[in-house]
Amino acid sequence: MDKSTQVRDWWSLEIVGMPGFDMAMKRVYAWYQNEILDRPPIRFQAHNAFLEAAKEDISKLSKQEKKAWWFEVETQVELFEKSIEGHHFHGETFPVFWPNLGPEVYAAFYGAELEFGEVTSWSVPLVRDWDEVENLKLDMGNQYFKKIEALTRYALERCPGKFLVGYTDLHPGLDCTAAWRDPLQLCLDMIDNPEGVERLADIAIADFQTIYDHFDAMLKAENQLSVSWMGIPSFGRMHIPSCDISAMISPEFFRRFGLPILQREVKTMTHNIFHVDGKGVASHLDVILRVPEIHAVQWVQGVGDDYPIMQWLAFIKRLQGRGMPVVVDLSKEDLNEFMEVMDPKGLFLWVATNNEEEEIEILKRVEKWN
Amino acid sequence: MAQYLETISKSVIEGDMTSVSEGVQAALEAGIDAGEILQAGLIPAMGEVGRLFEEGEYYVPEMLVAARAMKAGLERIRPLLMHSNVKPAGKVVVGTVKGDLHDIGKNLVAMMLEGAGFEIKDLGTDVSPEKFVAALKENSVDLVGLSALLTTTMPMIKSTILAITESGLRERVKIIVGGAPLTQGYAEEIGADGYAPDASRAVSLAKQLIG
Repeated sequence: MDKSTQVRDWWSLEIVGMPGFDMAMKRVYAWYQNEILDRPPIRFQAHNAFLEAAKEDISKLSKQEKKAWWFEVETQVELFEKSIEGHHFHGETFPVFWPNLGPEVYAAFYGAELEFGEVTSWSVPLVRDWDEVENLKLDMGNQYFKKIEALTRYALERCPGKFLVGYTDLHPGLDCTAAWRDPLQLCLDMIDNPEGVERLADIAIADFQTIYDHFDAMLKAENQLSVSWMGIPSFGRMHIPSCDISAMISPEFFRRFGLPILQREVKTMTHNIFHVDGKGVASHLDVILRVPEIHAVQWVQGVGDDYPIMQWLAFIKRLQGRGMPVVVDLSKEDLNEFMEVMDPKGLFLWVATNNEEEEIEILKRVEKWN
Repeated sequence: MAQYLETISKSVIEGDMTSVSEGVQAALEAGIDAGEILQAGLIPAMGEVGRLFEEGEYYVPEMLVAARAMKAGLERIRPLLMHSNVKPAGKVVVGTVKGDLHDIGKNLVAMMLEGAGFEIKDLGTDVSPEKFVAALKENSVDLVGLSALLTTTMPMIKSTILAITESGLRERVKIIVGGAPLTQGYAEEIGADGYAPDASRAVSLAKQLIG
């Protein structure tokens, strides 16, 4: 095989602050296979921690100023660098910068406008009339696509030896369709014009591989791994399929509108970790797990009444029983009780901590878990 | 009469907007009072929709088409209701708090409350405490519904309640709160009168508080 076309399946990266990179990757790969090496992998960060940790106070800025701030390439990358300066990364806590303009950026690649808040953004519905569907075209030259490219490029310049660069949060399929139409309107559409929804969802998945490949190629050209907001890397093609709007629809509608898209979305990936955002999405899990390319799930029990994790043990055990690797997010206060009643096999723990000492102590505790 | 009302009710539950509209027209032509159509046809139908939602038989799409069908019926009788003695179940102001642009939950609550006979003033999203206070001053409001989806914007619910208290209006209105990060415990801690985990239960709560 020509060297330039040879597909590498393992390489090492030097990251200051993470001397155990190779061993961490071995634990991650064992987890992908539903196996354990010496202990289950642990990431010392809570789900959505990036939302909580506002990097700069932009609350007083106007809408336009907020957008400008999100668009400042140097600021975004350098704030991330500052946040990891002098930090030691324990367990499987990979320092990852991923370019972020909010979860609806995929919809914006087709012309949807984004409105920016302090920690996330929202898309303005783009398809008001069904006639407008014809206008939906992927535009790799639009401001959002170019900005994600610029953020990726600058991060790649700055990352060597310090951090990994990932790809942005891509939500094709039904969630993109919801962004284009407005979620409640899409719910009405499912009854009023189901064929229209199928057509729209088809457009929302048609270019996914092109978009994914574009950013994957940018990263792989610079010796990077495949990783995104979840911070779980792969040497192959890692993706985080999800379908948040499924929490609002019946199993029948999910099978009709969501499943066919999901099957296309995961096709070319080596590692798909399905993001199960709460009990509403979990109600479709039996159908989701019938897709053989789903390699693992991330369980997010949510906040409010659905927190903490201890009420979901039976659910997690069921996933383990099916041989499905699962990411769980738990508080350090729950850890001992959790370890007492759970088998570590197939689990990837996410635990928020306050300092390094806590992380080292937790690692010692988890090493004894069997 | 019962047959007309039953047809209207069934059409609302099935989300058939055209049938509701025609059913209401037929009922009016048969001499049935608009208030009766509302109280014995449309509102009980939405109550049933809420029950089906709570029991997991209906999901958001089914609930939305039912609410839309109910609204079509309501539009037919609204001019007549203005001349009758039918009063709304209560006046409600709803909004998503400052910093938060999420509106799905808030919109569902507004629709279901309207379906239950409440008069709704929807302030939209990203609503400042001052704007809530101003809306309370302008209208004789019975109930305020505050929504937040993010843990980062949840404290703004507390700030809004504080602003309502400081404006001297707190004793005049009941406040209910909702949104993914909220709990009954948090609602009590910040001095809300109630917490509802979904749109259907927001209606039960509203009825309980100001019924």
